[in-house]
Amino acid sequence: MSGSDLDPEGTARLSGRQKSVWHYIAVLPTWLAATALFVLMGMTFADVILRSVANNPIESATEMTRFLMAIIVFSALPMVSWKGQHIVVDLMDPLFSRRMARVRDILIDLTCGVILFWPAKRVWELAERARDFGDVTEYLGFPQYVIGWFIAFFAFVTAIVFVMRGIARLFFPTKVLG
Amino acid sequence: MLLSILGLAAVLFLVFLRMPIAIAMGIVGFVGYSEIRGFRGSISMVGRLVIDTAQDYGLSVVPLFILMGLFVSKGGLSRELYQVSYAFLGHLRGGLAMATIVACAGFSAICGSSLATAATMSKVAMPQMRKYNYKDSLSTASIAAGGTLGILIPPSVILVIYGLLTETSIGKLFIAGVIPGLLGVLLYLVAVKWTVMRDPDAGPAGERSSWADRKAALKGVWAVLILFFLVIGGLYGVLNIWPVNLTFSPTEAAGMGAAGAFLIALSRGSLSFSGTMHVLIDAAQTAASLFAVLIGAWVFSNFVNLAGLPEGLTTAVTSAGLGPMTVILMIIAVYVLLGCVFESLSMLLLTVPIFFPLVTSLGFDPVWFGIIVVVVTEISLITPPVGLNVFVLKGVVGDVSTATIFKGVTPFWIVDIIRLALLVAIPSLVLFLPNSM
Repeated sequence: MSGSDLDPEGTARLSGRQKSVWHYIAVLPTWLAATALFVLMGMTFADVILRSVANNPIESATEMTRFLMAIIVFSALPMVSWKGQHIVVDLMDPLFSRRMARVRDILIDLTCGVILFWPAKRVWELAERARDFGDVTEYLGFPQYVIGWFIAFFAFVTAIVFVMRGIARLFFPTKVLG
Repeated sequence: MLLSILGLAAVLFLVFLRMPIAIAMGIVGFVGYSEIRGFRGSISMVGRLVIDTAQDYGLSVVPLFILMGLFVSKGGLSRELYQVSYAFLGHLRGGLAMATIVACAGFSAICGSSLATAATMSKVAMPQMRKYNYKDSLSTASIAAGGTLGILIPPSVILVIYGLLTETSIGKLFIAGVIPGLLGVLLYLVAVKWTVMRDPDAGPAGERSSWADRKAALKGVWAVLILFFLVIGGLYGVLNIWPVNLTFSPTEAAGMGAAGAFLIALSRGSLSFSGTMHVLIDAAQTAASLFAVLIGAWVFSNFVNLAGLPEGLTTAVTSAGLGPMTVILMIIAVYVLLGCVFESLSMLLLTVPIFFPLVTSLGFDPVWFGIIVVVVTEISLITPPVGLNVFVLKGVVGDVSTATIFKGVTPFWIVDIIRLALLVAIPSLVLFLPNSM
């Protein structure tokens, strides 16, 4: 399955039945990603119009774009991972029996989860280092470590999501998508 | 060299075990890099790459172009494109399939994804072709093949990623896609003609439209034209009319395109609040999965570069005394093979870091190679057994077997190979426009 026609998970949940608080906690990052993308679009549009017509661009637009990108990508990642929307090659599927496929998927999910802890930890360390040095962004003077924390936090969440997926496959195989 | 070949084999192994491609490339890249530079060096490289990729200004063009494509699909612009193509071509034998090809090309000019083009056009074109008793093999094949134009006719998400990966001008890549894209349209029309010549029942003629109808249909496509000229015109600075200076960077062009498509969809009342959220979430999630692959691919490419695979390959080619054209043909063969199993973006990310240094060292133009890679990728989208566009069609239409679609696609596949041969033999077909700018 390619990335470009993924099913927009989460929207089906925008309406309908009574939801638990856990549901909202789970979909909140996805909504954050969607909002950040809308802001990015609106800001780029406003920047171009202001620059072209009034010769008065939004000077912090480049920096804002960088922040928004990190928010879009990393806050969407846990749900993408939980729903199994990562790009995979499923060509060999017919070669695996259902039982073998289940074992394979459990192992893959757990491996992905465990392996992601290291980069998440390293990003956290780099953020802490930026905090010690007092690094700020060039234009807005925004502390660099905050965005590092954000990325590390969602990388950790994604790692946990993969592990949970592996465990869920073990106990509730029908509940896991992809 | 040996280490990186082992790495490549390990990636393929993990990918076939259904591990997400992003993580397979990431793990192998990380382990391989550790072998050479130690664990600390490797994990530092990965950590830095994660932070930098997520905040790369140049990459912000990716979610914005995806968003533009999704808003365009929501806005119903596909229907109008189809109507205008039908008004001019519908009365010919196979005319509805021809109209589909032309409408796909028009849609590609405002959408950067082949799968989205095929999925959107199938909803509009398929019911019409069924109404006129078109054989499923021709109708589905014309949409699957026409849809592949999405990644060649600008804007194109794949060309953007190639440009960022190889530091080639995205503007030049876009404009270079135009002639090969139009050539593709022309050859696909020949493929339709050929199909109905062999089997006249495959595509009966529709009703002839009057000139009044044609004029009315043309009025419907203004939105598409405006969007195209806004994005592409802004990118090339042709909208620079005093006192308004509309020249965009690729990110700005994508942002303007997305905002324009949003406003068009909004003005037509085809976007509710939940519909907008739906599109935004879809785009953000697609972008996130693409970025995951990008990060994984960069980790892997750092490893193969450190392990000296590109240099090793260049040396091997030089010492074997292979001519440049032989090498290009071999690379194309590798792409066609990989395209049978790999998703297009992953294939590009896995191979371009390895082949690009070799190709440029042999004196080939980076823009030309980018277009060749995209054309081969297009071919892979309709090549069995994976041909993703065929599966998109199968997903949308439902009651047609993939075997029927693949059978119908054969003439289109053959003309695609002819087009590839033409582009390889006559590079100026690709380079004429970018070089004359």
